[in-house]
Amino acid sequence: MDPQLLFELFVKGLVQGSIYALIAVGLTLVYGLLRILYIAHAGLFTLGGYCGVLVTNATGSFPLALAVAMVSVGLLGMVIYRLCYQPILDQPPYVALIASIGLYIALEEVYRLIFGPYGDSYDNPPFQEIVQVFGVGLKQAEIATMVATVVLLSILGLLAARTRVGIAWRATVTAPNMAESFGISILQVRYLNFFIGSALAGFAGVMVALLNNLAEPGMGAVPSYKALAIIVLGGLGSVRGTLVAALALGVIEAYGTIYLGALLDRDAIAFAFLIAVLMMRPKGLFARA
Amino acid sequence: MDLIGAYEMSLLTTIAIAIIFALSLNLITGFCGQISLGHAAFYGVGAYITALLGKAGMALGPALFIAALATACAGLAVGIGALRVRDDFLAIMTMGVGFLFTGIVRQQDALGGEVGISAIPDHGLGRAGFMALCLAVAAGLALFSLYIKKSWMGFAFDSIADDEDTARMIGIDASRFKLAAFALGTGFAAIAGGLYTHNVGIINPDSFGFIESITVLAMVVVGGIGSVWGVIGAAIVLSMLPQWFQFIADYKLLLYGALLFAVMRFSPGGFAALIAGAVARLRRGRTVTS
Amino acid sequence: MSTLLDVRDVTVRFGGVTAVENVGFAVQPGELLGLIGPNGAGKTTLMRAITGVVQPQAGAILLDGNDISDLPVHRRVRLGLGLSQQLVRPFASMTLVENVALAAGYGRTDGPLSALAGIGRSRELARARELLDLVGAGGAADAMPDNQPLGFLKRAEVARALALEPKVLLLDEPLAGLNQAEASLFADTIVQLNKEGLTVVLIEHNLGEVMRICSRLVVVDNGRKLSEGAPRKVMAEPAVRAAYLGVEAGDAAA
Repeated sequence: MDPQLLFELFVKGLVQGSIYALIAVGLTLVYGLLRILYIAHAGLFTLGGYCGVLVTNATGSFPLALAVAMVSVGLLGMVIYRLCYQPILDQPPYVALIASIGLYIALEEVYRLIFGPYGDSYDNPPFQEIVQVFGVGLKQAEIATMVATVVLLSILGLLAARTRVGIAWRATVTAPNMAESFGISILQVRYLNFFIGSALAGFAGVMVALLNNLAEPGMGAVPSYKALAIIVLGGLGSVRGTLVAALALGVIEAYGTIYLGALLDRDAIAFAFLIAVLMMRPKGLFARA
Repeated sequence: MDLIGAYEMSLLTTIAIAIIFALSLNLITGFCGQISLGHAAFYGVGAYITALLGKAGMALGPALFIAALATACAGLAVGIGALRVRDDFLAIMTMGVGFLFTGIVRQQDALGGEVGISAIPDHGLGRAGFMALCLAVAAGLALFSLYIKKSWMGFAFDSIADDEDTARMIGIDASRFKLAAFALGTGFAAIAGGLYTHNVGIINPDSFGFIESITVLAMVVVGGIGSVWGVIGAAIVLSMLPQWFQFIADYKLLLYGALLFAVMRFSPGGFAALIAGAVARLRRGRTVTS
Repeated sequence: MSTLLDVRDVTVRFGGVTAVENVGFAVQPGELLGLIGPNGAGKTTLMRAITGVVQPQAGAILLDGNDISDLPVHRRVRLGLGLSQQLVRPFASMTLVENVALAAGYGRTDGPLSALAGIGRSRELARARELLDLVGAGGAADAMPDNQPLGFLKRAEVARALALEPKVLLLDEPLAGLNQAEASLFADTIVQLNKEGLTVVLIEHNLGEVMRICSRLVVVDNGRKLSEGAPRKVMAEPAVRAAYLGVEAGDAAA
């Protein structure tokens, strides 16, 4: 097979993987903290996409749209935590899972009703120029996505390791009672957690809407289902594992569509991969002991 | 006989099939506590096998039987895989199985690909006869479910759903019981799928996707996980709602989503718990003299 | 006298940590054996290795001469190994009597098909009530576990283990969380069961009661066996006292 094509597939896979990573990290942050699978996250991703398109079209400023999307989606995430998840934290795990699914479906329908079923597009999508990177033609938007993912997640990692907030967060995850007795407000940590995770999803939504030049009500569905597979593979709660699993999945999908396309459609590849891994390592690739 | 018109017969048939499908999931998720987010895949396997056998000339009865058996084997295979994973991992894995099913079917021309299978031969029972068959199977499964609950299998299931590890410590081979639940649940889902095939005449992968899995899960959860009557009631209500109120049909998904969320948020035991709670309050109200 | 439970050279490692190293002891029929040691000594891990919840890296477990080292938990239980856990885990959706009855019906729950065939529970419920009375929790029989005091739950846990008609009963800290009076009473119940022929292995922190009721002690510390023998002799050994010094000194019998 043509090595140039192989390389191009690889790079495209990384782009797609970056998007998955941005969505999945929010999910894994919530899981690490609260042990709930936060499927409603997909609805926030979609909202980010709409924000990006609508604000850019209204104001002409993409950076503004990005900021608005991240902040508003982040805030909505916090609201969802307070209203929807906090009250059911002491129930068995399937309760939060199913509530989350219900919430996501309802959100998707609400978007369909408010924004219409056909979706919205950018009037003047920015960053569409194609740039040659190592012989592969990439849109500026695609490069921006990859770079942004690396930057954002690195910042996240630094925050977690170096700042007081980050240390408080980690303490809350591993030993909530002790953390409380040290004066850390568990509630604030959780709000922050949801804000950051949701803001990342909002960012991902804006970028995906840009890459496809379309924001539509169901855009959150498939990426989020895959994100679930990714956080399981990456080790529930591990940001680093999630990043690796996400990038790996993006690349595997890129190659898989070519080689396995006769057997499986693209979306099923993620899950075939997931099931195969789970059979070998029932606690995920990078499971914590 | 003109006691019931064609429309009513069609409605009863659809409801009966929904009840069979919901009760089949109830065996796995309700009785045995194994969350499955991919149950529609087995519904689908049953549907496709029945369709293909029907097109090959087989009569309905044998076709359903073979579909059920074959699907139960597939269910066992998935169940064996599922033994290795717990809780959240199980939920996601079953979700994956569901996507795998539709993903594979969409790519196979032999199965009709995206378009599906049509022109399925008539079952020969007539509309009333077919309705009677569906109602009979639904009633049969309901009785079987009630029997299981009373039996020692149900007793063992209860313990496994509560705490699988401790169940093992009192001598229960939890793995075998879980597999039994999977085999029974998927087999009956296949029967529901086969009946569905003949009820609608054409099938395609879209009818057996994640949303369908969530819909049937909604019936089990809203009814009250494990409660046979609750699940039957929820299946009836949720499948009839779009018919009763035409405008609801457009909002069907929104209703499902909101309902799922509301039930989990405010009454995780479903309607069954709500009713049991109301009954208990009534009883207390009568005996307590304030 | 043929050994009932033979624990041979069991080693358990988790990641880089060796929780139990080369520990072995033999339990004779009719004994009331105490397994003691300071916190973190590896007692519970050892117990879990015996029941099969945890797989040891080395060693063997023999019950009545049969090697059960490779058997899953439920099979060991059916061969006669009974366990009552430190953190009580009653089935939350059933009453205490139902909890015990399910165990009493172990003949019915052998496999899904035979379980499906069985439908009456009255015999097992009656037996369960007997057992709950025996351990002193009869009053709470029809209650749900979630609002019962720990004392009742612990006794119900033992009743549930007894319902399986074990040859040897492993009790993991049955007295933990009980006040002195309750602990003493429960210890008496254990003695009574032992007198009636039940072989018991008792993991316990409460040295006062252990000294009182056990016929023999095995001491572990840091995953290794430190000593074994008659209670007074063992507690007089300097190594054993040193292991406990500063931790249990106030509890140890004089």
